[in-house]
Amino acid sequence: MADKIKLFVNGEEVEVEAGKNLIDAVGAVGIEIPHLCYHPALGADGNCRMCLVGIEDGRPPLVPACKTRAQEGMKVLLDAKHIKKIQRDVMELELINHPIDCPVCDQAGECKLQDYYMSYDQAESRMTVAPVKKNKKMDFGGGVVHDQERCIICGRCVRFLRQITKTGELGIINRTDVARVNIFPGRPINNRYGINVVDLCPVGAMTSSDFRFKQRVWFLKKALSVCHGCSKGCNLTIDHNKEKNKDDIIYRFRPRLNEQVNGYFICDEGRLSYKLENEDRLTTPKIGTVERDLTDVLASCKNEIEMSTNVTILLSPNASLEQMVAVKALAGKLNASISGFSDGYIITGDGDDYLIQDDKAANRKGLELLGIDTSQQGFEQAIAEADLLINFGNNLGLSYGADALKTLLTDTKTIACATHDSEYLAGAKLTIAVRSYSEYDGCVVNCDNILQKFNKAVTKNNELPTICEIAAEFGGPLTSPAEIFAELQQAAPALKPYQPATIPAEGLNLNDSEAANVTA
Amino acid sequence: MGAKVKTMERRGSTFIERIYLVEIFKGMARTLSHLLRNLKDNSKLYVRHYPEVQPEIPAGWRGRHRLTTHDDGTVKCVACFMCQTNCPADCISIEAGERHDDKAEKMPVSFNINLLECIYCGYCVEACPLDAIRMDTGIFSLTDNNRQAFIIGLDELLTTPGAYPEEDQKKGGA
Repeated sequence: MADKIKLFVNGEEVEVEAGKNLIDAVGAVGIEIPHLCYHPALGADGNCRMCLVGIEDGRPPLVPACKTRAQEGMKVLLDAKHIKKIQRDVMELELINHPIDCPVCDQAGECKLQDYYMSYDQAESRMTVAPVKKNKKMDFGGGVVHDQERCIICGRCVRFLRQITKTGELGIINRTDVARVNIFPGRPINNRYGINVVDLCPVGAMTSSDFRFKQRVWFLKKALSVCHGCSKGCNLTIDHNKEKNKDDIIYRFRPRLNEQVNGYFICDEGRLSYKLENEDRLTTPKIGTVERDLTDVLASCKNEIEMSTNVTILLSPNASLEQMVAVKALAGKLNASISGFSDGYIITGDGDDYLIQDDKAANRKGLELLGIDTSQQGFEQAIAEADLLINFGNNLGLSYGADALKTLLTDTKTIACATHDSEYLAGAKLTIAVRSYSEYDGCVVNCDNILQKFNKAVTKNNELPTICEIAAEFGGPLTSPAEIFAELQQAAPALKPYQPATIPAEGLNLNDSEAANVTA
Repeated sequence: MGAKVKTMERRGSTFIERIYLVEIFKGMARTLSHLLRNLKDNSKLYVRHYPEVQPEIPAGWRGRHRLTTHDDGTVKCVACFMCQTNCPADCISIEAGERHDDKAEKMPVSFNINLLECIYCGYCVEACPLDAIRMDTGIFSLTDNNRQAFIIGLDELLTTPGAYPEEDQKKGGA
């Protein structure tokens, strides 16, 4: 636990964490100090002057809260007349040349200028001259569109590209009212984290060319999830909406703060991976290539399982822990060998030292946790003896070429549960369409051994079964979520004190808890 | 244009009236006289002569919607979704897209109003920041034989003209 100190805000005593600046310290206990340029990941810049507060200890009358460390006994003034006036004055300055094009601005609804105008300003414009015209709709590359008129020159985007990605594509050119954020001529934003500047921008100056005009933000429903794009498991907010007479669709992924995992940011590939959840989805179960009812297909599957003498079950490294537990129990019941072979999910050399990992599977550590073999040798040995392969969502097309896969499965029939249509499904005798990770909830373990919970976001009009349900249909002994979770707690002792709903949002570090168990 | 009201005296208590026979013939004579009179001249009928004579619709009356245009005929709407957000009947569905002229950045690529769901409250008109949607077409009668025909799109909304001069609109049009 961090040290606590006591200070006074507007004469009232509050207890805050020591060692933080005033914005973060009193923000954590629910007192807002307005700020535009300060961002906890980028540090204090002190250029917007929106966070000016008074401190009654003989200092100058106004000090920037972002640059002031919270100290014991500090008397902070937020509601004094001169503070209110300076907030109004700063807002007036920011709005002098603002185009007020909120009706066409994607930021409307989550815009700091709108929020602060309502909370701290509410004054009419005193401008009698025409506002300065600047460039709009500038393509900065990397999926970022810039609007100079909306920009308040807080420099968050510039600092992000200098401090975090260290690529420095953006700069502020000129001073005063001719200051503009711009790229260097012919050098667009070109890094794998560039779209984060859209989230960082407190106003609508940076918009994502992908999300642009797709949806007004107040229509979007939010769900807390975890990215399945690689083994890092960055925390996400899934913004989705079911428009009238249409299906529930994801419109964007946004990063969600988790200091243990991803901090404030996500990579662009992960951010745009929401498209995979909407497109090319497998929606109907099939016998061979003929689309059939789920009941027919399940009956055929059960028939196949009964007829077979040696079953191999293949798990996807993207499956949730719950699904792995349910399928493992099914394998035990069927006396089948189980494998999690998925070398094809690893793209060597693709990762970097920040967030992106080589391993594009979200839960390989989960396979390890449950003691499921992932070796190629083990899988090929099992498949050589098996006459039936039940594949729970593992895209074998990544690990084998089309011909190699055909040779491998010549004597083996395949039952495939899949989320997406793919070439590797071509040889499958029976195909069952199952839900993808935005449509169920569960836990995954990331590359640093942190167990994280993600929630169900999307409810499709045509709701597909989950892998857990299919495993139960095939005769798996674990039929209810409660049974599955109890079994999971056996495998992961760190989960014992928790229920699915009470797993902490920042995740459980399994390394820590193992160490704790050993010392205990 | 108030309805014509005629108060009838209550009858039926005398002996002749209670045997009905005489009154039946008197009634038939009255019906026949009305028939003959109306055949000659129907201007004194106590009902509206709709649809031969259309009712007079004032400018403030909320009829079917239309989208207004700039002077050069391009759509004023910038797809801000204020009307859709405020619609209590949830009958408006808009899809937005890039706009490439210098009028604005954004425009509707589709704009559908389901007239069967619309309750003609006029909130969309109130919410519009650009006076781009109005209910001043004066159209009050909508008939068709399938539901799909009542979902009107961008073209139909843009091509329907307003029924009132701009001065009436300023005094308080729909």
